[in-house]
Amino acid sequence: MNQDLVFFTCVNILLGWSVYVVLLSGSLSFAQGAFMALGCYAAGLFTTKMGLPLIPALALAGLITAGIAAVLGFPALRVKGVYLILVTLGITICVRIALENLELLGGVGGFGGMAGANVYLALGIVAAVGVCLWFLSTSPLQLILDAVREDENVAAAVGINVTYIKVASFSAGALIAGIAGGLYGHYMNFVRPDSFDALISIYAVFFVILGGVNNFLGPVIGAIAMTVLPEYMRVLQEWRPTVFSALILAMLLFRPDGLLPLRLTTVK
Amino acid sequence: MYSLVAIGFTLILGVLDKLNFAHQEVFMLGGFAGVVIAPFASLWWSFPLAIALGGALGLLTEFVAFRRFKSQDAKIAASLSSLAIGLILVDAVQRHWGGEPVAVRSNEPFFTARFSIAGIELLYIQVFIFAVTLALMAALHFVIMHTGFGRRIRAVAESPDDATLHGINVRRVSQGVFVISSALAALTGLLLAQRTGYASSEIGLTFGLKALAIMAIGGIGDMRGAVLGGLAIGVLEALTYHFGLGRLGEMTVWAAMYAVLILRPAGLFSARGHLEQRA
Amino acid sequence: MGALLSAHGVTKSFGGIRALDGIDFALGEGEVLGIIGPNGAGKTALINTITGFYRADSGSIRLAGDEISGLPIHAISRRGIARTFQNIRIFKRLTVLENVLVAGKRAALNPIAALFRLRREKPALEAAANLLSAFGLEAKADWRAATLSYGEARRLEIARALYGGPQVLLLDEPAAGMNEAETERLVNDIRKARHRLRAVVLIEHDMSLIRALSTRLIAMDYGRKIAEGEPAAVLAHPQVQRAYLGEAA
Repeated sequence: MNQDLVFFTCVNILLGWSVYVVLLSGSLSFAQGAFMALGCYAAGLFTTKMGLPLIPALALAGLITAGIAAVLGFPALRVKGVYLILVTLGITICVRIALENLELLGGVGGFGGMAGANVYLALGIVAAVGVCLWFLSTSPLQLILDAVREDENVAAAVGINVTYIKVASFSAGALIAGIAGGLYGHYMNFVRPDSFDALISIYAVFFVILGGVNNFLGPVIGAIAMTVLPEYMRVLQEWRPTVFSALILAMLLFRPDGLLPLRLTTVK
Repeated sequence: MYSLVAIGFTLILGVLDKLNFAHQEVFMLGGFAGVVIAPFASLWWSFPLAIALGGALGLLTEFVAFRRFKSQDAKIAASLSSLAIGLILVDAVQRHWGGEPVAVRSNEPFFTARFSIAGIELLYIQVFIFAVTLALMAALHFVIMHTGFGRRIRAVAESPDDATLHGINVRRVSQGVFVISSALAALTGLLLAQRTGYASSEIGLTFGLKALAIMAIGGIGDMRGAVLGGLAIGVLEALTYHFGLGRLGEMTVWAAMYAVLILRPAGLFSARGHLEQRA
Repeated sequence: MGALLSAHGVTKSFGGIRALDGIDFALGEGEVLGIIGPNGAGKTALINTITGFYRADSGSIRLAGDEISGLPIHAISRRGIARTFQNIRIFKRLTVLENVLVAGKRAALNPIAALFRLRREKPALEAAANLLSAFGLEAKADWRAATLSYGEARRLEIARALYGGPQVLLLDEPAAGMNEAETERLVNDIRKARHRLRAVVLIEHDMSLIRALSTRLIAMDYGRKIAEGEPAAVLAHPQVQRAYLGEAA
């Protein structure tokens, strides 16, 4: 398997996870493209303009992205379900436009000069995040998230600070997406605002839908399937959007919880 | 001519209130498709074609996306399905015509003629569009308010469960709504393409989604709101461009939507809220 | 004030409808306060307002002297007010045990800490298990809550409400949809619950429950209190009888 493929799979896994983390608290976010962009540009700024080494830059970029997400998310998360999809899509589009207009970051032309990411770093990050998620899924916090996801009002009635949880998970998702973005930028050396458009957000959601909504391995499967398989089947590659969309359609109709729908119970 | 943007899309969106965001891409692309097919015949033929195509697509989407009914989750699944369909359509179009805008050639003088009134140059077609949209709006209003079918639509919009209890075939109504709105969308897309002279596969994402935002701003299910919303946005956008903020104008809609959804989740003009806040 | 939970002049309107029209009441230590009234009288609205689901338009609500009106739902809950819902709302996707655990105060207070707890704390688990036993649900601890029968689900809801160690429990028509045997069992369960609490508010239509449990009774109609006092006296009150269209037996 060639390195590029592994790398992109890693990035996609991270993106899928970033959607998953937000979904844990019941919100479906289409804003991951935006956060990926923010993370990428932030990290890029840190490394090129301020000379920070890559890993701290990534971490910092992630945190900043999470912070922005918290600010945006606090009011945004008051809307539910379908409307949230609209709002998050809107965020993605706005961010892209904002980036296109900021000459400081290269505007439409793009932003370059980032380097230093490689496959091993990507794999490492995936492993690290994976461990965290595994940890999460057996912790009491998972229980709280499930409660919030299932019935916000009742969750509040038993004392859970629903808003805090939702914003926190939104930020966490943004954190992961931001780091993914930073990784991506430093591997590709050069990015443009339209590398991070609504389509990325949509695909990220598709990974999760395909692979499994209820546990953290689902997005992995979805991401791998949608990234790796096309390499081996030219048909898929050429018809990618159509095939994926059709696949997702099938999933939604027949197995809306994804290929791996199990929920890991927390108390055993 | 933001009236086009405003009125054209509100038509689609006002009627769609039933499923609350079923699909949008489909619509816009329906319009696109209708347009590009035109070169084979006089441009006038593209109208019925667009309408038919739109209607068919609407029916298809309804069938695929409407499998499940009421719960919140299901609505999201339905919307996502429609999103998937939308993507398929975009891809299909791009595959055939490429990603660049395609010119819509017209051999009818009507579509390119201009005239002047009080020193302002107008295209015949702009007036035509305006007239058409007004007519459509009036027709829709009439249908919804004064016919049996319209009443059924309103009943279902209020509550699908109650409607069924009253013997209304909800499925039929929803199919009807989808067909009408899709056909309208196709028509609008066609008009837009003729106005600008180009059809573009990107349009669904840029234009179409904005329409959604306008719908959210104006209030879901309220035609008046959608129209006013569209006009308001049109004006806002024009102002933004005017003040030299250039491309940031694109953001106006989304930023406005963000603000409105947060401050007044029911939209600016909607009489009934769609939120659940009860225990 | 002396009262554990009290409301003064609480009003709440929706559009043109006054759900609550200047309600006053006080709940004392050890009481089981019954609230009756025809549908639409505002009983559930009252609970919703007390627990923070609605925000009162005016008036004040105090818990042990502290103003709680206007606080967010979870804050009110953490102060020691627990409730059940008219249409039983348990977390169907969680197991029975998890339903109870999720109401744990510690976890709720600090999600970050909750994240890092590797194993559930034994005392918490034990307390939850005990609670389940008290309500006869220990055998189904690991079953998904969706599989419970109606009566079991109701008991789970009560158990969950009790897990956080609340001071006051608000029960919204707990006997709705139950037959005689289940209702009798419910009476016992509520008596059991009462021992773990400082006071209970019981909204009900089922008069046998009201008579068996309430130490004091309030009757509501049109968002207002129309009678208050000893259960027998209130039930015999002419206005109350009229409100129920002579149904009060």
